[in-house]
Amino acid sequence: MNVLYLLVPAAILLAGFGVWAFTWAVRSGQFDDTTTPAIRALIDDPDSEIPSPDSNPRP
Amino acid sequence: MSEEIQTDAPRFVRPETACSHCGLPVGRHPVGDDPWFCCSSCRAVFAVLQGSGLSDRYYRLRDVGRTSEARPAILNEDPSSLAELGSPLFLERHTRANEDGTRTADLFLDGVHCAACVWLVERLPVEVEGVREARLDLARARLLLTWDPKVVELPRVAQWLGRFGYAAHPGRINGSPAASDEERRLLTRMGVAWALAGNVMLIALAFYSGLADERASGLYLAGRWMSLLLAIPSVVYAGQIFFVRAWRSVRRAARERTIRHLDMDTPIAVGITVGMIDSIHATITGSGEVWFDSLTVLIAALLTARFLQLRSRRLAGDASDRLLSLVPTMAIRLDASGHEERVPCESLAAGDRVLVAPGEIVPADGLVVSGTSRVDQAIVTGESRPVAVEPGSPILAGVTNLTTALIVIVRAVGDDTRVGRLLAWVRDASSRRAPVVQLADRLSGPFVAVVLTLAAGTFVAWRLIDPDVAVAHVVALLVITCPCALGMATPLAMAVAAGRAARAGVFIKSESAIETLEKADAVVLDKTGTLTEGHPAIVRVTGDESVLGAVAALEAGIPHPIARALAAGLADEPMAVEDLYVEGGHGIMGRVDGRSYVIGRPDWVDRTVAPLPVELRTAATEAARAGRTPVAVARDGAAVALLALGDPLRADARRLIGRLADRGVEVYICSGDHPDVVLDVASAVSIAPERALGSIDPEGKKAFVADLQARGRRVVMVGDGVNDTAALSQADVGIAMAGGAHASLVAADVFLTSGGLGGVEMLFSSARHVMGVIRRNLGLSLVYNVAVALLAMAGRVDPLLAAIAMPVSSLAVVLSSIAQRSFVRPRPDAVGPGARTPRSVVLPVP
Repeated sequence: MNVLYLLVPAAILLAGFGVWAFTWAVRSGQFDDTTTPAIRALIDDPDSEIPSPDSNPRP
Repeated sequence: MSEEIQTDAPRFVRPETACSHCGLPVGRHPVGDDPWFCCSSCRAVFAVLQGSGLSDRYYRLRDVGRTSEARPAILNEDPSSLAELGSPLFLERHTRANEDGTRTADLFLDGVHCAACVWLVERLPVEVEGVREARLDLARARLLLTWDPKVVELPRVAQWLGRFGYAAHPGRINGSPAASDEERRLLTRMGVAWALAGNVMLIALAFYSGLADERASGLYLAGRWMSLLLAIPSVVYAGQIFFVRAWRSVRRAARERTIRHLDMDTPIAVGITVGMIDSIHATITGSGEVWFDSLTVLIAALLTARFLQLRSRRLAGDASDRLLSLVPTMAIRLDASGHEERVPCESLAAGDRVLVAPGEIVPADGLVVSGTSRVDQAIVTGESRPVAVEPGSPILAGVTNLTTALIVIVRAVGDDTRVGRLLAWVRDASSRRAPVVQLADRLSGPFVAVVLTLAAGTFVAWRLIDPDVAVAHVVALLVITCPCALGMATPLAMAVAAGRAARAGVFIKSESAIETLEKADAVVLDKTGTLTEGHPAIVRVTGDESVLGAVAALEAGIPHPIARALAAGLADEPMAVEDLYVEGGHGIMGRVDGRSYVIGRPDWVDRTVAPLPVELRTAATEAARAGRTPVAVARDGAAVALLALGDPLRADARRLIGRLADRGVEVYICSGDHPDVVLDVASAVSIAPERALGSIDPEGKKAFVADLQARGRRVVMVGDGVNDTAALSQADVGIAMAGGAHASLVAADVFLTSGGLGGVEMLFSSARHVMGVIRRNLGLSLVYNVAVALLAMAGRVDPLLAAIAMPVSSLAVVLSSIAQRSFVRPRPDAVGPGARTPRSVVLPVP
């Protein structure tokens, strides 16, 4: 069990890296717009992947 | 050709057919002929898309990833906005230069709502030479544009966007950076809190699954110390906002000697403090229980609720920023030699001469020195009929010049103008206004008192039973009754409600509005622009209705308010108009499809073309008596129709007032318009004449609201004009209708960007629903707190129970908040967009 003395601090260190990365992401505005990037992913699709308006009638 | 004009008869298409561009039902007055459209703007945009070969992909993308309701295209190119985008001053102030010679600007883009819009707008660099980058933030409708000023000018880019129905406004985003900084800081705190809580939980899991039995082992001690080290930043960094606010409320409570001012942060801070001190003590001495896991999760969960609340509050702020960006801030100043110069409004001074083009807003109070025109004062005074001005007439800032260019000599600017004084009063009033104590905060004073009493009781009782565990049980009680769910009950319900409301076009600026709306017992409605559409339209046709198409075609190009109202029905293929002749002040004549038409004042038509039949003559007299403008139409030398122009009642006005009356709310009309017109509208919507007041100036409206409040009423004011701003801010809840004066947005607590009066009705019913959800949340939390308090007093609470019970209670509140059904937009009726087809709205003559 003594390995835990090494593993737990290592895990905490990794978590610290995660927190740093998160802080960086927030600071650089990655969370400011949470809607549009999801849509941009669709835009890069070729036409064939987007359901055509006829096959997807509006409610 | 002429048959197509008679769009009143839907012969080929059912009203619920989707518009080929925007997808909304086309309604009873569709445009086009397979493909069908709901309005001419949609058809125009459709044609532009087809013409540029972009349509296929656009319509494929349209139905995926929609973030808000579909809406018809609006083609409205505002010359002053374009000019402002092009002015050197705007470039200097609101855009920034990059190292490579390009410039970057933050623009508001109206009309974007779906994936197709993102695609189209972000194609700018491909479509317009000189644009380097275009990034659209769909939710906030903001476009970050980088372009090369040597290759392309900003107005040119705006024009390209305008062809697709996207209106770009100069973004003067001044307040937002601070707001988004606050949001980012809170998000960071929340992330850090969850990371720390997660690690503390992992260690706690080891304790709960057996490590705790080996109290003496080194691992056990190391685990506790580790948890302590992780919990300290969680409390000190992430959780500090609770301590700051709790301290503030404790000081206020001490100053005023009442527990009423203690807010929900106080019991939270007490719980965290007691739990932390006890846990640190236990860690150092190596005896007793530690609560680090429950405390860190508590902080993270509460921060999450606060963050969601802040984010949802941003929705209203963003929307009002966007609408405020529509206000022009530039004026055209004439120097001594008559040279035109675009200057910001704030640099105008008394004595300056400014040019006000037709369609522009007068930037300052002054006197007309040259030009004869008609101005629309509705926004400032509530008067629905355009007013004629000539050299020597005084003119107010905020009125719209309608027909011809005017030169105005400035008398007062900024806060010295009538509008400016009103706004200054609104600003002062809102800073003086005492914050409304919300339901949850009213609970927290007694909550603290009860918990502390129970803690004291527990301590005394256990002192007698078993002195060794007395302190431990008191700590357990204080930690587990820490109002996690209670603290989330209001913010979560509000955040979900505000998000749903924003999707329905209702923006809630102050959350206390919801609570006040539920208890409101008097509603004061403005008339012009609120109960009515706020602009002239055909409200009654006597005689041959088939002339409407030709009338619209003839009037289409004429910049006169009456002509615009008559042309509003123009919804079809352009008809061949020949020999158009305008007789100033009387009317127009011309030929459409080979038939000759004369349109104008009844007496003029009567005198010059053909005598009016008795039926039309009576209609003209009647219209004039009801405060409407009669217009006669003659075709091929015979008078055939009489059109009455008035300010049409909004389609849903009568229903709203009926619903309000059903709720037992007193409804008043308070208008700046002529009392006769007000009474006319009042009887059309069945409001008693003594509750309909006309000829009331802005100060009078405010006094009227204050008077109702003095009689113990909770007053909701609904308005749209500058003349309503003082009353909006005086009222307990001010609701502004967008499309009116932007100043009213500043004063209001809630504003509606769509849905007409339906939004007001929805607001009332949803306020009741949301308050129900909040009460349900508070009830759930209190049940939890009572149960765990009893357990703690019995000495049955250990850290494991706390670690399970607290999140479960919070989860219950989360689910209850998400499950609300507020702000459900009523299904669009098959009649379609009635607002854009004024012919379908007929104001009954009493």
